[in-house]
Amino acid sequence: MTSPDVASTAAGLRDAIRSSDLRLSKFNPLARILTFDDFNHGAHGWVELGGNYNGRGDLDSMDEHFRDFRPPQLSNQNFFDVGTHGGMTGTYSLKLATRKAAGHTATAIRRLTMSGRGLLQIEAYLAWKVEANLTGGDEVNSYGDISWDANSHPTEAQFGAFTVATDLDHDGIRYHNVMRFQNADEDGKIIQKWMYPTVAEPTPHERFEGKHDYGRYTDFTAPNPDDWRYLNDERQEACYNEVPTKVNWHYLRFLIDTTTRSNVELQFNNDVYDLRDVPVPPYAEKYESLESLLNFYFSVRTLGPYRNFLFLDSVVISADW
Amino acid sequence: MRQSQSAVLERGVDLEKVHETEPFETAWAGEARWYVQFLRPAPGSQVEFRVQISPDGLNWIDHESIAPLASEAVGLLSIPVVNFGHWLRLRSEQKSGDEAPMLRIYLELKE
Repeated sequence: MTSPDVASTAAGLRDAIRSSDLRLSKFNPLARILTFDDFNHGAHGWVELGGNYNGRGDLDSMDEHFRDFRPPQLSNQNFFDVGTHGGMTGTYSLKLATRKAAGHTATAIRRLTMSGRGLLQIEAYLAWKVEANLTGGDEVNSYGDISWDANSHPTEAQFGAFTVATDLDHDGIRYHNVMRFQNADEDGKIIQKWMYPTVAEPTPHERFEGKHDYGRYTDFTAPNPDDWRYLNDERQEACYNEVPTKVNWHYLRFLIDTTTRSNVELQFNNDVYDLRDVPVPPYAEKYESLESLLNFYFSVRTLGPYRNFLFLDSVVISADW
Repeated sequence: MRQSQSAVLERGVDLEKVHETEPFETAWAGEARWYVQFLRPAPGSQVEFRVQISPDGLNWIDHESIAPLASEAVGLLSIPVVNFGHWLRLRSEQKSGDEAPMLRIYLELKE
């Protein structure tokens, strides 16, 4: 066999084996699977994003907007109306939960390093929800664009955004690939579009140098709303499914290329978006002690006094190196 | 090997009379332990802690087997918990004293 034949046969065998694996057949990973997390055996290294603190661990030495990203929870999706909902894969999923405070963000990160360069991909089955509400009068039947009609539920308009992103560094250059599903604005107006920032995330080192000092509820990924762009004008329709206690899982795939430090593709269920023109702004400054940094994070941000939840049933990170 | 998780539910919260930790899901765990550290003590104050449980993360009651823990608002305290169901939170209340302490609150969970 020639080399192309060998490679093709190997890829075919890999696909066949994966498609017969009950856990992996719902994913489309690159050749080398770096991590597989279904959250039925712990949080698997997904941990609250923490801020940088001084030699004594002083709270005041941390950026204020980095102090409260909340510990992820292993959730069986226990709801007031149906009891345990469970996950797509087994009983448990990983839950990121905000506080009931406008602008608050919960963030979980997974920390690796790169042993090669090339295509890098994260896939997930996820769902987003708002905490159910059992109090109030008629006024709680409406929020923003949505009034309860036994189909749409006002909590859908109370969900702000979720984000999938990287934190990567190699050869002295650090950068983030970022895609955000913006569901609604702070007034509950439905947006449901993909967004990306045009600037790099403000860092604790920059605060140390006196370049910024953001408040507690700042959007840490890119604080200025003017630094965000819509991917396109299309509304990304999805399956919130009527009430905050029915959970339908959505497929997400985010493909990037570390060789060119660029975005490649985003897939959300059966919609595929070409991201090759979506910028990945690098830091101008070189960062020490981060060589070959390979982090992925998910975050969820509420824009009102409502707990927003992002549930991850399962996550696969893969690479072609 | 048993699964475990430590969650830092508050990293440095000023206790303004009453504080309740965010709802935390614990269905997978068989035992738990709270740690409360007074990062800024308030000597001469009385602070009371109650372990609370919930069927849904929305409605809460005191755990029936754990008496409220009264503290002098100094040092590091611990409260073990079993038979807690699927949700846990900790309620802190300053019963006396004028100066608000600052708390760090850990929840440790184990299968």
